[in-house]
Amino acid sequence: MTELCLTLKHTPAQMVDVSALTPDLLAGKGREDILRIELPTGNRKLRVADLFDLSGDGAQSSLTIRASTDRLASIGAHMQSGTIAIEGDCGPYGGLGMRGGKIVVHGTAAAFVGCGMRGGAIEVRGDAGDFLGGALPGDKQGMRGGSVVIHGNAGDRAGDRMRRGLVLIAGDAGAYCGSRMLAGTIVVSGRVGHSPGFGLKRGTLLLAHPPAEMPAKFQDAGEYELLFLTLLAKHFEHEGGSFKAFLPLSRRVRRYCGDLATGGKGEMLLGLSS
Amino acid sequence: MILNGVAIDDTFAEAFGMRATRIIVTALNLKWAYEAARTMTGFATSVIGCGCEAGIECELTADETPDGRPGLAVLLFAVSSKELAKQVERRIGQCVLTSPTSAAFSGIDGEPVALGKNLRFFGDGYQMSKVIGGRRYWRVPVMDGEFLCEETTGMVRAVGGGNFLVLATSPAEALAACEAAIDAMSKVRGAIMPFPGGIVRSGSKVGSKYKALSASTNDAYCPTLRGAVDSALSPDIGAVLEIVIDGLTETDVRNAMRAGVKAVCDVGAAGGVHRVSAGNYGGKLGPFHFHLREILA
Repeated sequence: MTELCLTLKHTPAQMVDVSALTPDLLAGKGREDILRIELPTGNRKLRVADLFDLSGDGAQSSLTIRASTDRLASIGAHMQSGTIAIEGDCGPYGGLGMRGGKIVVHGTAAAFVGCGMRGGAIEVRGDAGDFLGGALPGDKQGMRGGSVVIHGNAGDRAGDRMRRGLVLIAGDAGAYCGSRMLAGTIVVSGRVGHSPGFGLKRGTLLLAHPPAEMPAKFQDAGEYELLFLTLLAKHFEHEGGSFKAFLPLSRRVRRYCGDLATGGKGEMLLGLSS
Repeated sequence: MILNGVAIDDTFAEAFGMRATRIIVTALNLKWAYEAARTMTGFATSVIGCGCEAGIECELTADETPDGRPGLAVLLFAVSSKELAKQVERRIGQCVLTSPTSAAFSGIDGEPVALGKNLRFFGDGYQMSKVIGGRRYWRVPVMDGEFLCEETTGMVRAVGGGNFLVLATSPAEALAACEAAIDAMSKVRGAIMPFPGGIVRSGSKVGSKYKALSASTNDAYCPTLRGAVDSALSPDIGAVLEIVIDGLTETDVRNAMRAGVKAVCDVGAAGGVHRVSAGNYGGKLGPFHFHLREILA
């Protein structure tokens, strides 16, 4: 058996919802069945055969999308298991509400990647757009589990309304990083834009570099060596791969409590050289 | 069977099914890990009056603990899952949470039992949860920083009540032989000896002349009652000490018993040891039987 591979024939004129193409939904389907699957675009539908060349066999736990562009929306949305490798860019809502499995984006990911996800892992080798791991407009909670690793930079409002899980950004994060966060952990190795942790209720923002201006609603609580950071570092070592980019993890941090306007039970941890 | 002048009785130890867990207690250094673990395993000699039987299984290096600090593995045994859960929570809450720089983690996979799940409320709303690698930990703010505690530990079916008796000329000689046994047995993983220093001098029999008591002194093995009761002791026996073993598996109990009895035999008749025996209830009460001669074969 060869790996199932979908190669985009041409860039579609409009955004195409490809959420039907996940390993768990394709399981048990033959080649012809897959080619007949309808994908919504605008007010009509396209068949897989109209958009993609298909190679390999069906019913596999892994799927590769080649020549992908940011017109392909909701790649891997609600997927339960398996692996999707995206060679190219990923449109908005990549991994929307996913519960398991892994998505690897070799290019960049547009807005709302990992939005509302509950489990599994997403790795983006390039940059990610706004609302990474965030909530859909109107939703009360964003990401609720799993992990997202961004090798490049992330846009604004990364982790907006995030409830649980781990977001790792190796590059810079935009403005309002961790805004309205309910819980979970965001680690930023680069720099963050203005107003990090805006409306943060609980959860942890671990920043390698202090923000240009510390928000007034965060209060200094002093320097500590927090044990859970050792556990986190060990987890990164154990996971290896993309997680290793975040090592060594600073175990000695300066803790800021905040956002005081929303209870002050969250924290911004600034890494210190130990 | 006679080993180094020590007669091995043709009898067996009778053991029972228990519920057990392993908890890893760490601290800034080994001294304070011991303080926490010793306090937590204090007053845990027998399920009859203590609720559980507990002891320190072994030391753990910084490489072996979840938080990279020195620590100890502690085993707790109880007669039911409900009692085990109660004892874990009470002992972690009163003895480990209170001990400076401590942290507590699950040391075994099994049916989940609350570890920090309810203790987190000590944080009065300032406690924080972190899910790392699929496991949930609680960070409870305390006066020296944070008490880090895993949410649950694992409960497994275990074996409690393995035992053997050391019969010697005098209390000092019986004690010296038992100390040698405990030194050897403490190297066996998966087992603890819950009594003081691992040794018990008040072995009991089932029943009593007093209606309120379910157990009373094992008169057949009390040297001062020789002549007054149907004694199991020959005239050369002046003292009997017992070692009780709880283990995570039948094999762990067997390994610990073997190490202990062999150490006693190494002391031998020259050290005043004459016999090794074991306690049982005729084999009708406990499902696990450890025959001394089979263990040593």
